[in-house]
Amino acid sequence: MTISQILFIVIALVVLGGGVMVVTARNLFHAALFLIVSFFGVTGLYVLLDAGFFAAAQFLVYIGAISILVIFAVMLTRGVQQAQPANSQWPAALITSVIVFVIMAIMLGPIAVTIGDRQFGNLSWPNIVEGQTVPAVPDDSLVRLGQSFVDFNQYGAAFLLTAVLILVAMVGAIWVARDRTLKDVMEERAELAAEEAQEAMLAGPAQPALPVGAAQVAEPTAEPAVRH
Amino acid sequence: MLNGIPLYWFLLISAALFCIGLYGVLARKNAIAILMGVELMLNAVNINLLAFWRYVAPSSPAGLAFAAFIFVIAAAEAAIGLALMISVYRNTRSVDPDKLDSMKL
Repeated sequence: MTISQILFIVIALVVLGGGVMVVTARNLFHAALFLIVSFFGVTGLYVLLDAGFFAAAQFLVYIGAISILVIFAVMLTRGVQQAQPANSQWPAALITSVIVFVIMAIMLGPIAVTIGDRQFGNLSWPNIVEGQTVPAVPDDSLVRLGQSFVDFNQYGAAFLLTAVLILVAMVGAIWVARDRTLKDVMEERAELAAEEAQEAMLAGPAQPALPVGAAQVAEPTAEPAVRH
Repeated sequence: MLNGIPLYWFLLISAALFCIGLYGVLARKNAIAILMGVELMLNAVNINLLAFWRYVAPSSPAGLAFAAFIFVIAAAEAAIGLALMISVYRNTRSVDPDKLDSMKL
């Protein structure tokens, strides 16, 4: 067993253990912390795959930004911790997940499985155990990635679209999470209507020069009328 | 770095992480936990893309480009999803998706 294999197994345990704890932890805050553990393991997998840029991006985007966002959301929705973290259909969900995993493992795997007259599996993905070598990563792979993002024959259009997408997502997130509920909006409208009614009253011919204090006296009577 | 690791190991761990995320999405009672499950699934997809890039076509930028797009989509999804949850919590004092049925007929 090579050092890389041992490293891979350790990282795999971190990733999968963290993932299992994320979906089973009773305390939502602990789940968020285990999410960070799982992301950290995925960073290690990217390092093993010679994708250093993506390891750094994973570190900054997932561990640095998304986990903090999740923790903020957990803290802002405090007091909704249920005694039972899973809903009533969790056995069905567990069975579904296991079946999906088994199907994927067989379909992608090297072992041939025959169901009816069809054969699944038996795929020979590149495998470097027996002296085979995977092709080396060219030194300028990141340069090529950057060029493909600005080349409209490759991913230029998609790159621009993702820029628009993230802008829309940011503006949308701010708008959706703004600090006004429907009740606030209704109250604001009611106040505006009350003010307008007062102005109309003040502008009426009966009281040409009413002092400002009178308008404030009139306010409490207007408020309950629209609030019920 | 890949000394002796077959591609199948990466596919297996990716499939396992995806299924863990799937279980989280299907079984958790809290909408924020469901979003965490979605994040796990997106990570599994990214492992898959980068593994195939490394083993099959390391000279092409395609695998890296798709992985980068997934990063952007994951960030947008997290921002929008969590903003929605905070808004829902403010209005209903609950983030239980079973209770959010006011649009049901």
